Amino acid sequence: MRAFAVLAWESLRDALRRRLAISVALVLVLGVAAAQSCTQIGVGGVSIQGAPVEPRLLAGYVAPLLFGFQALAVLAMAGLVASDHLARPLAEGSAVLWLARPVSRAAFAGARLAGALVVTLGAGALLLGATSALLVVRQGVAIAPALAGCAATALGAVVVASLTMTASLVMGRTAVLLFVGLGLTFAAYANGVGLVSDLVHPDVEVGGLVGAMNRFGPPLFTAIAAAVSAWNPHVDAGDSWPHAMVRLAAWSVAGVALLLLRFRRREIES
Amino acid sequence: MVRCAAVFDLELASASKRYGRRHALSQVDLAVPRGASVGLLGANGAGKTTALRLLLGFAIPTRGAARLRGRDPFDPASRRGVGYLPERLRLPRAMTLARFLRVHGALAGLAGADLAREIESVTETTGVRDRLHEPVDGLSKGLAQRAGFAQALLGKPDVLLLDEPTSGLDPLGVRDARDWISAARARGATVLVSSHVLSEVERTCDQVVILREGRVAASGALGALVQPGESLEDAFVRAVRS
Repeated sequence: MRAFAVLAWESLRDALRRRLAISVALVLVLGVAAAQSCTQIGVGGVSIQGAPVEPRLLAGYVAPLLFGFQALAVLAMAGLVASDHLARPLAEGSAVLWLARPVSRAAFAGARLAGALVVTLGAGALLLGATSALLVVRQGVAIAPALAGCAATALGAVVVASLTMTASLVMGRTAVLLFVGLGLTFAAYANGVGLVSDLVHPDVEVGGLVGAMNRFGPPLFTAIAAAVSAWNPHVDAGDSWPHAMVRLAAWSVAGVALLLLRFRRREIES
Repeated sequence: MVRCAAVFDLELASASKRYGRRHALSQVDLAVPRGASVGLLGANGAGKTTALRLLLGFAIPTRGAARLRGRDPFDPASRRGVGYLPERLRLPRAMTLARFLRVHGALAGLAGADLAREIESVTETTGVRDRLHEPVDGLSKGLAQRAGFAQALLGKPDVLLLDEPTSGLDPLGVRDARDWISAARARGATVLVSSHVLSEVERTCDQVVILREGRVAASGALGALVQPGESLEDAFVRAVRS
């Protein structure tokens, strides 16, 4: 446990020292600026064909969309930070010295994941926290869906980071970044199609690869959307948030287990 | 094969390692008893680094087994009290030498005043004490090698695994390295030195294993391997060409 704590602290320092931290900070600034701008919609009153739109109804569309995009940005950030946080010290050779100590492979990989996650979740908390605060203050939405959405994003970040780190053990950086980009896009698309289908035709299941991804893949976007859809008075998500969270938690455990298993007896260049 | 005691700190039992079609090691037997100092010699690509990788659990034998301090090298407990200096030393980025050594000391099980004392001692010994607050990745090759030695010697390890330990050191540094290895031997540490530099092995080790194309070509006590009137270099050439 002590070795894990020492390595996790070093992993966090390493993540903060990297140039990638600048990208994370940039996403953070842009995200907060977007939230600051978007939450002003409706402040002066919005009307369609001369008829004023009820602010609560407007907030019911603006808030979930804004929060959803910000949450997806946090998931992308998780993938970006994790993409070489374990692979880089292995490729550079500096990991050899740590691993020659009485350190288990699980402690090392777990510590690298923890460092990447602390940076991502810290940035995510700032971004989603600021967005939620602006939405609550300016749009008058409830805080509970935002908290549920943050929990879904945090679990989603664990899934994305652990799967990305596992992928980085078997493929190069460019391929890993493609894996993150395409994987996230496809998961969000499949979840989105599934949500729309559930709203429009609840008795019809989406088929093919998209349907399979939505049913069996990590419900990254479903869990977030289910949480913040409570802001929209026309949407009844029912109990889809707890269901999605249970699936997401299972995917988190599986993702971390896969990473530890893959790294357990991996050969290390020295 | 070097065998002279019942307790072995380092063991390879018919260990083979293949990378694709290339056999890096073929059925190598090695048993280094506690307190012995063994030189691992061989030409480039003879399998010296691969042998060390197997012993440290960085690679899995294709056949046979490796044991470090009587355990599977993948067991973290096997690496307790082990100091290692790799051939290609890559120090972490943007970390001061003091922090680098503190982290290694903590991972080696040292803490508090013991850790501070140990860092003071190894940096004094290896001549990098005035570099403690410099980033390790900015050190010159020779100083980096000294820093690498400092981390390997931290906590007075019972087993020292050194891969080309004098690489990058100037003549004074080479002489210092010899002294550090001799000091470790004097306090009873088991030492395995993989090197191209025969004269260094001759001065720091009492037993030698010569590898040729992944196989043990000769092994034994220095006195037994080197025949009267010849040098270790002659014995080495004879072993690798026979």
